Amino acid sequence: MAPKSAELLPGILDLLILKAISLERLHGYGVLLRIRQISGEALDVPQGSLYPALNRLEHQGLIESEWGESENRRRAKYYRLTRAGQRRFREETAGWERLAAAMTTALAAASDEA
Amino acid sequence: MLARVRSFLSAWTRRTHFEDSLDEEVRFHLDAYAEDLVRSGVSRREARRRARIHFGSVEGMKDDCRQARGLRLADELGQFLANIRLATRVLIRTPVVTSVAVVSLALGIGSNAAIFSLYSQFLLRPLPVAEPERLVNLEAPGPKPGLTSCNGAGGCDEVFSYPMFRDLQRQQTVFTDVAAHVGFVASVAYQGRTLGLVQGMQVSGSYFPALGSVPALGRLFGPEVDEPIGGQPIAVVSHDFWRDDLGGARDVLGDALIVNGQPLTIVGVAPAGFRGTTLNMPSVIFVPITMHAKLVRNVEEGRFEDRRSYWTYLFARLRPEVTLDQARAATAPLYRSILTEVEAPLQTGMSDQTTAQFVARALPIRDGRRGQSQMHDAVNLPLLLLLGVTAVVLLIACANISNLLLARSTGRASEMAMRLSLGASRRHLLTQLLTESCLLAFIGGAAGLVVAQWTLRFIGALLPPEGADLFQWTLDPYAVPFTGAVSLTTGVLFGLFPAFHCTRGLLMEALKDVAGQPGGTRTAARFRNGLVVAQLALAMMLLVAAGLFLQSLTNVTRIDLGIRTNDIVTFRLSPGLNGATDAQAQALFERVQTELAAQPGVTAVTAASVAVLTGDNWGVRVMVEGFDAGPDTNRDTRFNRIGTDYFRTLGIPLLGGRTFTAADVRTARPVAIVNEAFARKFSLGHDAVGSYLGRGGLDVELDTEIVGLVANTRYSNAKSPAPPIVYVPYRQTESVGALTFYARSTLPPGSLLRTIPPLVADLDPNLPVTRLSALTQQIQERGFADRTTTVLSAAFAALAMLLAAVGLYGVLAYTVGQRTREFGLRMALGADAGRLRSVVLGQVGRMTVAGGAIGLVAAFGVGRVTQSLLYGIDGLPPIVITAAVSALAAVALAAGFAPAHRASRINPMTALRHR
Repeated sequence: MAPKSAELLPGILDLLILKAISLERLHGYGVLLRIRQISGEALDVPQGSLYPALNRLEHQGLIESEWGESENRRRAKYYRLTRAGQRRFREETAGWERLAAAMTTALAAASDEA
Repeated sequence: MLARVRSFLSAWTRRTHFEDSLDEEVRFHLDAYAEDLVRSGVSRREARRRARIHFGSVEGMKDDCRQARGLRLADELGQFLANIRLATRVLIRTPVVTSVAVVSLALGIGSNAAIFSLYSQFLLRPLPVAEPERLVNLEAPGPKPGLTSCNGAGGCDEVFSYPMFRDLQRQQTVFTDVAAHVGFVASVAYQGRTLGLVQGMQVSGSYFPALGSVPALGRLFGPEVDEPIGGQPIAVVSHDFWRDDLGGARDVLGDALIVNGQPLTIVGVAPAGFRGTTLNMPSVIFVPITMHAKLVRNVEEGRFEDRRSYWTYLFARLRPEVTLDQARAATAPLYRSILTEVEAPLQTGMSDQTTAQFVARALPIRDGRRGQSQMHDAVNLPLLLLLGVTAVVLLIACANISNLLLARSTGRASEMAMRLSLGASRRHLLTQLLTESCLLAFIGGAAGLVVAQWTLRFIGALLPPEGADLFQWTLDPYAVPFTGAVSLTTGVLFGLFPAFHCTRGLLMEALKDVAGQPGGTRTAARFRNGLVVAQLALAMMLLVAAGLFLQSLTNVTRIDLGIRTNDIVTFRLSPGLNGATDAQAQALFERVQTELAAQPGVTAVTAASVAVLTGDNWGVRVMVEGFDAGPDTNRDTRFNRIGTDYFRTLGIPLLGGRTFTAADVRTARPVAIVNEAFARKFSLGHDAVGSYLGRGGLDVELDTEIVGLVANTRYSNAKSPAPPIVYVPYRQTESVGALTFYARSTLPPGSLLRTIPPLVADLDPNLPVTRLSALTQQIQERGFADRTTTVLSAAFAALAMLLAAVGLYGVLAYTVGQRTREFGLRMALGADAGRLRSVVLGQVGRMTVAGGAIGLVAAFGVGRVTQSLLYGIDGLPPIVITAAVSALAAVALAAGFAPAHRASRINPMTALRHR
C-alpha cells in the first residue's frame, strides 16, 4: 500500500486531476496512478472520489472524454483537457503557488516567534 | 454554463448510455487494478477481492457521479413516482388494513371539512364585494334615551339616529363614504301575483357606492335617492330574486313591484351572489332608506329628524391610505362634538350621571369585511367547539392508522432490516414508508370530501327552513385546500413513528422475530398502548361534551314555560303589509277568529301581536301608581297586545281580577293585565288589580287600569327567565297590522294545519299565511342551533367512540395473535380458559381506566369552555359523568370481548406449532 503521508484538501483533487491529464490523455485508473507517481507516492486519491470528480470536471466543461484502446488492448475512457480546462489549470496553479508561498511564510513566522 | 446544460442533457437523454459507460469504466478500473496486484504477486482471486474492497461502495460512487451531472433531481422525481407505485402495490396487497384506514380517515377528514365549510361560510368568508377588508362597521354603545329599535343586523348597541348618520357622513374625512341600512319585511306582489313575504333592506344612497357594487342590470342607487324623504319609489332586486321570481328577463326594468302596498319601480338588479350585508337576513329587495316611513307600519316621517330615535345601522369604507386606528382617532372627536354640542341639549329627564355617560359615548369602529350580523357572535363558539371536536375525531382516526401501520411494519421489520443491510439508505426507506402513509392520507382525504358533502346534507336536514336558507349547503371552496393540508399533516403524523420504528435496522432482532419470538419491541408496545389510552381519553372527553349538550337540551325541554303548548296550532297574518287600513285589518282579524272557532275540534281561539317564544320582543317603559321612580330607575317591561281568551287558550292561570272581554274596545276605558313578575318589579304585591299605569316618560298620565293578574310565562325565548309583562287588548290599540293566531284543538294538528291556508285564502287570496305550525314544533325549531350542536356533538362522540373501539380491538387482536404461543403454553401447563380471558380483559380494563381518567380530567376543561352554551348546568353533573363512563366501559368491553374469547380458545397443540 502506498504510504498516506498527506490528506487531500477539498478542491485539491480537482487540481491534481487537471495536472495529471495536462501531461497526456489518461483513463481513470491512469489518473490515479499518475497522481501517485508525480507526487512521489505521497498522495493517494480515494478511489471512490475519483470518478465523481471526473464527472464534475466534465460537467463543468474543463475536461472532455473519448473512448480509446488501453495499453493492454481494452476499451477505456480517456480524458483530456479542454481549452477552458487549460486556462483553469493555469489559474489554479498560479493561485495555489501564491497560497502555498503565503502559507509557508506565515507558518515560518509563527515558529520564529515561538 | 452551456457546457453544463449540454452535459446534463446528454447524460439525461442518453441515460442508459451514461449508466453503461459508467459501469464499463468502473469494470475497467477494477480489472486494471487487479492485474497490477497480480503482477505484484497476489493470487488472481485475492487481487479481485482487494480491488473491490479498495474501491469502496460502487453504488455510492455512481450516485455521486449522477449528482455531478445534475441528474439527482430528475432521479428523485423518478424515485418519487416509483415510491408511489410501490406504495400503491403495498396498499392493494393489504386490503383490510387499507380499507379500515381509508374509512377512518375519510370519516375524520370529512367531518372536519364539513364543519370547516360551515365555519368558513359563517365566519371567514368576506362579502362578495371589491376590497372587503377596507369595510368597517360603526357602533354606538352607551345610554340612548328615546326610542331604540333594532333587528338581526346587530345588537341594540349598534343603531344610530338618522340625523347622526347624516352628520357623520358629511363631516368625516377618513372614509370614502358612510352607508346606512335597516332591514324590513316586505310583502311583495308583481304583475298581480303575490310573491309572499321576503326580506328587504332599506339603504342609503351611499350603500352600493361604499360597497363598490356593479349592477348586473340597470342601475344601483347613488346619492340622488337620498332626497326627498319618502319621494323615491324605486327598488333594486337581488340577482336570484330577479332570475327565480321575476322571470329573469331584461325588460323588468321600469316594471312596478308592489311592496307593502307601495308601487315601486324596478331600476336595477344587484350583482349575482349579493344578498345584502347581513348574513342572517339575506335580502332580495333593496329600496332607498328615505322610503322607510312609507314601507314600515307605525313609523312617521318625523323619524328622519328625530335625534332620539335610533334605528339605522352604519358601515363605511376606509380611504385607501387610512388605517383602522387612524379612522378611530379621527372620528372620535367628531362624534363627541356632535354629542356635546347638538345632542346633549336635546335630552330631557336625564340624571347628571347619565348625561356624563351620554356625552362620553365611544364610537367603536370594527372590521366589517363580513358585513354586519348578530349571527357572527352567535355561531362563533359552537362552531369553534365543533371544529375542535372534529379535530379530536381526526386525531383518534390518526392514532388508529398509526397503530395499524405499526402492526404491519413490525411484520415488515425483517424486510426492512434486510434491505438496510444490503445497502439501501435509511432515508430511502423512510421516504418510501412516508409516501405510503401520505398516499393513504390523500385517498382518505378524497373520500373525506364525499363524507363532508353527506355531513353537510345531514346538518342541512337538521335545520328548519329559516335556518337552512341562510347557508349554501355545499362544500366551501376553501375546504379543498384545507382538506389537502389536513391530509398531508395527518399522513406525516401517523406515518412517522411506525416508519422510524421499522427502519431502525436491528437485523438480529428482526430475524429473531421471524423465528417466532414475541414480536414488537417494548417501545412499540408502549407506543401502541399509549395510542389506545389516548384514543379512549379523547373519546371520553367527547362523550362528556355530548352528554353536557344533551343534558342541557333536556333541561331546556323541561323548562316550565307557564304555557300549555300542546295541541295548539299557530300562524301569522300581516294584512298591514299589504296596505290594508286599520279598520280592514281589524275586520279581517275578527273573521279569521270566528271561522277558526267554527272548525271541528277547536276549543279556543285567540291572537297576539307578539308571538310567544319565537324570538319576537316588544319592550316599553311604564309608570305605575305608587311606584317611586327617578330618572335612572329601570322601568322596562315586556309588552303584548292580545285578544280575548288569550289566557284560556294558552293555559295561563288567572290569579286575580278578570280577563279581557269583547267589551274592551277603543271607545271603552283603557285596561291592562299584568303578570306576577310585573307586580313584583313595580312593588304592587297583591294589590295589582285596581292600580293604574301609563306607558312612556316619568310625567306620563296614569290612564290605564290593571284589571287582572296572571301567572308568569316565558316570553321571547324559553331559556330567559319569565320577564315582567303588561298585556293590553289589541282591540283597544291603534295600528295593529299583523297578528299571530293560536287555536287549541282536540283533534291532531295535521288536519287543522291543512284547513288554515284555504280558510284564509277565502277571506283574502293575496294574504300570505306565515309561520304556520304546531306551537310545540315552532318552539322546538327556535332552538335549532342548540339542537344541531347537540346532535352533531353526539354524532361525533359516537364516531370517536367507534374509532377508539376499533383501535382497542386492533391492538388486542394483535397482542393476542403475537402471544398465541405463550397462551398455548400456559394452557398446556394448566391455565384454564377463564384465566386467559381475564389476562386480556385485564389489559382492556387497565387501558380503559387510564384513558377514562385522563379523559375525565380533560372533560372539566371542556365543561368550562362550553359553559356559556349550556342551560341549567353548573360544573359536570354526576349523571353526565356516569353515563359517559358507562358508555366508555361498555364499548371497551365489547371491543375486548372477541380477542379475549379467542385467547381462551387457543388450542395448545396448534399454538406451540405457531411459527
